[in-house]
Amino acid sequence: MIAHVAWRLSRRAAMNLWRAPLPSLVSVLTISLALFIGASFVLGLFAARALLTSWGAQASVTLYLDKETTDEQARGLLQKVVAQSPDLEVVYVDRALALKRLRTELGDLSGALDGLSQNPLPPSLEVTPKSALPPAGVRMLAAQLGQLPGVAEVDYGREWLDKLEALARGLRVFGAGALFTVLGAALLVVANTIRLAVYARRDEIEIMKLVGATDGYVRAPFLLEGALQGLIGAALALGGVVAVQKWLLPGATQAFAFAAGIRAPNLTPAHGAALLGAGAVVGLFGSWLAVARFLRT
Amino acid sequence: MIQLFHVKKAYPGDAPVLDDVTLRIEKGEFVWLTGPSGAGKSTLLKLLFCAETPTSGQILVGGRNIVRLSQGGIPFLRRNIGVVFQDFKLLDNRTVVENVGYALEVLGASDAEIRERSLKRLDQVGLKHKAASLPQRLSGGEQQRVAIARALVNEPTILLADEPTGNLDPGLTDSILQLLFDANARGTTVIVATHDRTLLTRYHKRTIALASGKVVFDA
Ligand SMILES: Nc1ncnc2c1ncn2[C@@H]1O[C@H](COP(=O)(O)OP(=O)(O)OP(=O)(O)O)[C@@H](O)[C@H]1O
Ligand SMILES: [Mg+2]
Repeated sequence: MIAHVAWRLSRRAAMNLWRAPLPSLVSVLTISLALFIGASFVLGLFAARALLTSWGAQASVTLYLDKETTDEQARGLLQKVVAQSPDLEVVYVDRALALKRLRTELGDLSGALDGLSQNPLPPSLEVTPKSALPPAGVRMLAAQLGQLPGVAEVDYGREWLDKLEALARGLRVFGAGALFTVLGAALLVVANTIRLAVYARRDEIEIMKLVGATDGYVRAPFLLEGALQGLIGAALALGGVVAVQKWLLPGATQAFAFAAGIRAPNLTPAHGAALLGAGAVVGLFGSWLAVARFLRT
Repeated sequence: MIQLFHVKKAYPGDAPVLDDVTLRIEKGEFVWLTGPSGAGKSTLLKLLFCAETPTSGQILVGGRNIVRLSQGGIPFLRRNIGVVFQDFKLLDNRTVVENVGYALEVLGASDAEIRERSLKRLDQVGLKHKAASLPQRLSGGEQQRVAIARALVNEPTILLADEPTGNLDPGLTDSILQLLFDANARGTTVIVATHDRTLLTRYHKRTIALASGKVVFDA
């Protein structure tokens, strides 16, 4: 009994969609547009995050050691760090090398260093993560390394990281806001379409209720119809995103030098499923709003 | 089967449509509900299948107080009550047999069962040959009979008919009433609202007369 009732209700939902194709089409296109924009935002956020992470990773952590540290002690510390975390690349910069670097950096002004009676620079270890770390990861790493004995000071471009993090946070908030806005708009359009469909069939609904149909039975075809619109819209949006990734983005990434080395985020099947799910939920919820309001009156 | 206790129905701003109505109708009875236009006949029937709620008073149907019925319980009450509406309430874009089938569809019957039972009822009201027609293509009397077929298709324990013979010629009136008498003979409790006094004298049944919302006659 459940099976043939479900079959009848789905048939009716499909039939309604088919009988009023124009409003349904508007609904479907709105959902697909909203989800396309939403998905682009999310993928853009992924890309931005990957970019920020890679920038964050480039900011290496420098451990300034006590001035009195001998070469032997410094190399011992280097071994210790590498042994603890093999995914870190560590370079030892002794005092002489540090001075040489400073000279090169100063260029014409390097004469100022000639008057020094002794090398004022401490030896240091330059630690670079082999794989990209998010800003928070870099911060944690710096704190961890700062605890090591013989480390006088840690420098990891704190301000730079703070700015990156703020930027990432801003992007997230803006993206979430934009996502909710487009999804909300799509929801209202679906609700309106279904409201029209309900209105068009108000006589039938009235009679069904008078001969003993439950609210659920009356509601089901409309919910299915909304969910179906959402699903079709999501499928269109998914197709759009895949098409853009396949044909548009490869050219675009070459065009933008800043994105070099950052691949456009891949759309996994999980992302696709999430998109379809979002479409169905938006459609379902939109029609729920429409029908609930009608059944109450 | 049906009991009303001091039922009052008033729309805001108007004099009460029904005022202190107390009634008892037994299982298997056939009752005329009569009174002038605007007396509250349709309103009384609507109270019985919860299309309206009384302003005060209690109503028992089949031993259950339907005034206290929750929203979710109403469909199940209605499945036991067949209603022939004063304005038929047939769907113009559905065929006759589909219209009759609605009352079975909401019960969860299969398509084949719905069709078979609907056709059988249509046969009983003499309209099997019009099964595939749209209601607009039928005469008033034929539409009336489709409405009766729908009200009876799921063998309800109570049948409420609101002016089922309004605007029909006497010959057709008799054949339609015969359908109601047949249902009554099968055990269904039948209440027929009518303002046609000639019916009451032609067919002697219990008669409840309303006037200005009060029961003025019951015998
Ligand atoms: N929804 C409503 N709002 C306000 N007044 C109403 C409403 N429905 C019915 N009435 C009033 O209730 C009174 C009784 O109406 P009802 O339909 O019960 O009369 P009736 O006896 O069936 O008359 P008829 O023989 O013409 O069908 C009428 O005066 C009508 O105006
Ligand atoms: Mg009436």
